[in-house]
Amino acid sequence: MQPDPIYVVAAALALAVILGSAATHKLRSPIRFANQVEDYRLLPGALVRPVSRLLPWLEMAVAFTLLVPVSRHVGGIAAALLLALYAGAIAINLWRGRHDLDCGCAGPDQAQPIRAVLLARNAVLVGLALVASLAPDNRGLGVFDLFVVIAASAVVLFLYAAADGLMANGPRLLKLVGR
Amino acid sequence: MEALIVSNVLLWGLLVALAFVVMGLVRQIGVLHGRLAPAGALMVDKGVAVNDPAPKVTAADRKGRPVNFGYPGEKSQLLFFLSPTCPICKSLLPAIKSIAKQQSDRIEVVYVSDGDMEAQQALIAEYELESATYVVGPEVGMTYQIGKLPYAALIDKAGVLRAKGLVNSREHLDSLFETEHLGSATLQQYLNQHDHAHSHH
Repeated sequence: MQPDPIYVVAAALALAVILGSAATHKLRSPIRFANQVEDYRLLPGALVRPVSRLLPWLEMAVAFTLLVPVSRHVGGIAAALLLALYAGAIAINLWRGRHDLDCGCAGPDQAQPIRAVLLARNAVLVGLALVASLAPDNRGLGVFDLFVVIAASAVVLFLYAAADGLMANGPRLLKLVGR
Repeated sequence: MEALIVSNVLLWGLLVALAFVVMGLVRQIGVLHGRLAPAGALMVDKGVAVNDPAPKVTAADRKGRPVNFGYPGEKSQLLFFLSPTCPICKSLLPAIKSIAKQQSDRIEVVYVSDGDMEAQQALIAEYELESATYVVGPEVGMTYQIGKLPYAALIDKAGVLRAKGLVNSREHLDSLFETEHLGSATLQQYLNQHDHAHSHH
């Protein structure tokens, strides 16, 4: 059974905004992002600059392909791969025991150390990307459907921002209560 | 059918608003975390050490009566260093006044300021400090090496400096009394000792 298009389009829209905003943060402070890529210590020195230049544009391109119905399927799979790649980078550094590394996920305001909970967050985002990559049922979308799509993706985005904020606050709260 | 659609639109609208409010709350908590970080009165490491005898100095208050600082007496002394040109000092005056009133049986509050006498008069009139002990002059501030305002120092009955620090909020003021109670120079120091004590076990 094919899913209703509302699920697919709403997931694609929300994910496109998340990726687009992450990309703009990275494009706005390229040096900072290059340092973060270097801090992950996964790439040979010569590759750090080109990769840190390329990643934001890749995110932007994936966001764009998610918004176009024809390429939504490809965009969804690409987004899932990209997010899984990020999760892998975090997981390798966690496994190395580096818990003080800045995640570099969402710009300078939301600096947070890498933790296992970020893997869970990325898993949820990968799930969202996979939903966006599904081929929807072929029913046409009316005005009311569009309204539901926009409202649902707005709720997803606000909740994502809130959850991200809570995760960024978590370590500071622990510091405050002294644990 | 119509009613269902209306109810659905309404629910979506309210859900979006609710999610927005939750996000706003989380952001505000983040800002609070940023502001909260240095808890307790910040100790500027100058002048007399806490738990040492406070330097003895006598200065005339604004009516010309002599005021003794650092001498053994019947009450503890809370010195509040302020200036009419410092807005945070003014915002703390109500808190200082309430401490003076509540603990009048054990604490004598002395306001220490310096600078233009007219501005002092205006401040005294604005905050109704006519009956308070209010010293204008540089001697006390120089003796206690006060570099930043608003600053508070707590001297006990025996003339020993019990707590001092830069105070920027009511919580900082309260932390002075807390440190007096705990016997540490600053709350930060007490917490650190506490941490060490734990880590040794």
